[in-house]
Amino acid sequence: MTGPASYYLAIKISNTEFQMKMEDMPLSGPDNTRLEALVHDIYSELVEDACLGLCFEVHRAVKQGYFFLDETDQESMKEFEIVDQPGVDIFGQVYNQWKNKECECPNCKRLIAASRFAPHLEKCLGMGRNSSRIANRRLASNNNMSKSESDQEDNDDLNDNDWSYGAEKKAKKRKSDKNQNSPRRSKSLKHKNGELGSSVSSEPYKFNYNTGISYETLGPDEVRSLLTTQCGVISEHTKKMCTRSQRCPQHTDEQRRAVRVFLLGPSAPALPDADAVVESDSFDIPDGQTLMSRLQWEDSPDISPTDSASSKASTNHSDSRRPKKKKRPSLGLNSGGGGGGGGGSGGLAGGSSSSSSSQSNINLSTKKKRPKLSAPSISSIYDDLN
Amino acid sequence: MSKESRLRASVNQKLTEMGERERLKELLRAKLTECGWKDQMKANCKAVIKEKGLEHVTVEDLVVDITPKGRALVPDSVKKELLHRIRAFLAQHAT
Repeated sequence: MTGPASYYLAIKISNTEFQMKMEDMPLSGPDNTRLEALVHDIYSELVEDACLGLCFEVHRAVKQGYFFLDETDQESMKEFEIVDQPGVDIFGQVYNQWKNKECECPNCKRLIAASRFAPHLEKCLGMGRNSSRIANRRLASNNNMSKSESDQEDNDDLNDNDWSYGAEKKAKKRKSDKNQNSPRRSKSLKHKNGELGSSVSSEPYKFNYNTGISYETLGPDEVRSLLTTQCGVISEHTKKMCTRSQRCPQHTDEQRRAVRVFLLGPSAPALPDADAVVESDSFDIPDGQTLMSRLQWEDSPDISPTDSASSKASTNHSDSRRPKKKKRPSLGLNSGGGGGGGGGSGGLAGGSSSSSSSQSNINLSTKKKRPKLSAPSISSIYDDLN
Repeated sequence: MSKESRLRASVNQKLTEMGERERLKELLRAKLTECGWKDQMKANCKAVIKEKGLEHVTVEDLVVDITPKGRALVPDSVKKELLHRIRAFLAQHAT
């Protein structure tokens, strides 16, 4: 065979070994052998160029003295040598080392998988955004389903997993009813269980559906606590109290006032001016404060005007609410300064109200232990700040 | 054969003018680094340097040693890709 032809054949054979695509097949025909040769020549040129480039680079590094820099310290070289074992990355670290480890929750003393530990802790301690949403949801479902108060830990388990679609639908539906409530409100009610002996959330049999509460079956304490946090207007056809926020659009302030007078007597204190800011404000408060205030929660806090007056700048909304009427427990222990700042609004002004009350620990009836208890710890913080 | 050499010349010229040569060079370098060819060659260089002595090694020493090894050690996938691209260029721009 002639030279070019044999060359072509040689190429064809070697190429078909590992070239499957049509476009990679060598060009056929005698003319194109030259093209193919050209292609290879160009390729060789490029490769040689790369090699030369490398040589120059290395030579310069040698002459400039930085070629062996990474080999100066033999010890650290051994230490950081590339690891090539199965189950381990090149640094020698195990990939899912923490997956199978279990940690004991300090709160509920259960063993939780490490990767689920943080979310579990969030719910277990009742801190964090999701936990308040879930508490809300639970409150609503308790109202609805009249089962005994759900075990927090059981629900934790449920909540640890991703929401199932059905549960989410149910929750969403009910959440729309509660969307005007500050989550703190529901939480405060929930946590008052122990103190009051009976609270709204722990007595599901009193509720027939989640938007209404039957006032007849509630004791004065519960009524008071309810009215400080919720709208409370009694629906005419169902005889139930509205559980929406103080600002619920369905009822006017006059109605709320009338209800309070009706339920608590003419001396019923002023209607708290539920400022949505208050509720949201509670979330701005550092978690520690929130936690402490919630732990020591006894009753809706009644903040005297002087308390509010001396509160720090972030709580001057309390000042604005001071002149408005405010519900007070009619225990006869109505410590001075009636009509205090809307501390009642959601009783959650949690940290903010407690911080304001901390500044001047006056006007604290027996029922108002919560702000007082949390005050000493918080007052120290703010004294330092101030 | 002058026809062929003219063809080559024109192809080379086109390759350079259109920037394709530079692109191909960069592509090749990147691929070789990626696949570890460069580190392999560097190890070879170290061997040469240790053999000839740090002070007296020349570019020639390195080139003479590295080039044939380098050509041989280019992985097939890289070679395939480059050939493909060159062929494509030729098909598109050659007469």
